[in-house]
Amino acid sequence: MMRDTAQAAKDIETSGFCIIPDVLPSDRLERVREALYRAASEDRVRGWEQKFRLDYAHDDTNQRVWNLLSRDPVFADLVEDPLALGLVKSTIGWPALLGNISANITGPGGGEMILHADQIFVPEPWPATPQGVNVAWCVDDFTEENGATRIVPGSHRLNRKPSPDEASKDSVALEAPAGSIIVMESRVWHKTGNNRTKAQRRAGIFAWYTRPIYRQQENWFLSLNPAIRQFASDDLLVLLGYRTEGLGLVNGKSPA
Amino acid sequence: MDLDAKKRELLDNGCCVVPSVLTPAEAERVRERLWAAARESERIGVPTRQIGLDPNEHNVRVFYLLERDEVFRELIQHPMAIEFVTTLLTPDFLISNFTANIALPGSQSMELHSDQGIVVPEPWFQPWSINIIWCLNDVDEDNGATRYLPGSHKLQRASDLPADARARMVPFTASAGSFVVMDGRLWHTSGANVSKDRERALLFGYYSRSFIRQQQNWNASLSPETIEALSPQLRAWLGLEARANVKLAQRLRIHPVATHTKLTS
Repeated sequence: MMRDTAQAAKDIETSGFCIIPDVLPSDRLERVREALYRAASEDRVRGWEQKFRLDYAHDDTNQRVWNLLSRDPVFADLVEDPLALGLVKSTIGWPALLGNISANITGPGGGEMILHADQIFVPEPWPATPQGVNVAWCVDDFTEENGATRIVPGSHRLNRKPSPDEASKDSVALEAPAGSIIVMESRVWHKTGNNRTKAQRRAGIFAWYTRPIYRQQENWFLSLNPAIRQFASDDLLVLLGYRTEGLGLVNGKSPA
Repeated sequence: MDLDAKKRELLDNGCCVVPSVLTPAEAERVRERLWAAARESERIGVPTRQIGLDPNEHNVRVFYLLERDEVFRELIQHPMAIEFVTTLLTPDFLISNFTANIALPGSQSMELHSDQGIVVPEPWFQPWSINIIWCLNDVDEDNGATRYLPGSHKLQRASDLPADARARMVPFTASAGSFVVMDGRLWHTSGANVSKDRERALLFGYYSRSFIRQQQNWNASLSPETIEALSPQLRAWLGLEARANVKLAQRLRIHPVATHTKLTS
């Protein structure tokens, strides 16, 4: 299957996304899956769940798990996975920031998300290049039936957000086996699909990266488990905003 | 002062001078506190010279104003300052930085730039940042007033900058206690202080739209004691909490009949 990163980068440019299977070997996948579902179940039991404004508001089956970095160091490995980070760099350059890493788990009967582009917080007209990139890690098989992310291929070339009357535009379900990554540049229109299964949950972990001029979605300086920063690699320090130039300074210099 | 006329001037020219926001005595008191803050910075090992940012050691930079002294925490949220900030940026803004640049005789000019242009990719259609520049001395061409190109906040690309931009720049003039409001897109440079013995102390309150990353990492730089004492409003404006860059869905709505066509490939 496709492991040619030059081709993957080209797909992102042409279609707005690419799918790369078999990025996580089964032992790592199992470790990630176990950590994610444990965090999700803790959140549910404790009533810590937080809804997302773009999600379907009327079901209790879909679930978001935020700030995964603080839940288990295994998620930091995903953030700086060499293959994923290589595509982040070829799409938005370096240095980049990690805006967030969160999970989106659809449940049986779960409703779909609003069609959107990830950079809709940037006022239009947009610059000519993508301002962010989303790397989705398929923790379970993504299928049309279980709520795979749906995308409008090529919509990034419109370089604008969808209008309300485009919300039901034709979209493709991004079917991919567990262990794949789906990389979407920030202008491509997409949404979570409906989960029409009787019993399947479908988890995806979304690592969202931006160019370094944007405020991060998660305030890492407020919420990150200090151990993650303490043991962070140089790349992770950059992604979190601790090693920085120009913006995000402390006393006129980088905080780390 | 005709406030509306000042706001129009800001929108038309990219900047305006708001006179006498502080009395001369108040400005002098702030200037004293600024020098105390500079000394304190040096004492705790935070350098006040940044060669590279400035061409030589005649500029004194103080980076930690909000931590240093309550007077700066008051100025950054001065109602008149906020009035101009919200006029240009809407109420959806964050405090990006608050620093001082004291130009001593012999200090030279920076490179020509716009604050927004060095951060945000072109084209620039809207103001995403603003500077409120507090003048603690009388400021004019002689002691290094900021020089700017009038109307240049309307330029959408760096290549639109006229070839003779430097020659067409003008210095602002303001008395101690005034502030200068500058659209983040306005092309400008610090002036050279060619006076014999006059200091030129300016405070730069820099504010940006809430989706833009702040210049200063307030979470990592303010002490717990300082944060504890801040009002909820100031905490929100500093972005210390989980505010901003999350208003993703404001103008979207659920479409009642969403249908899919599965395209197979």
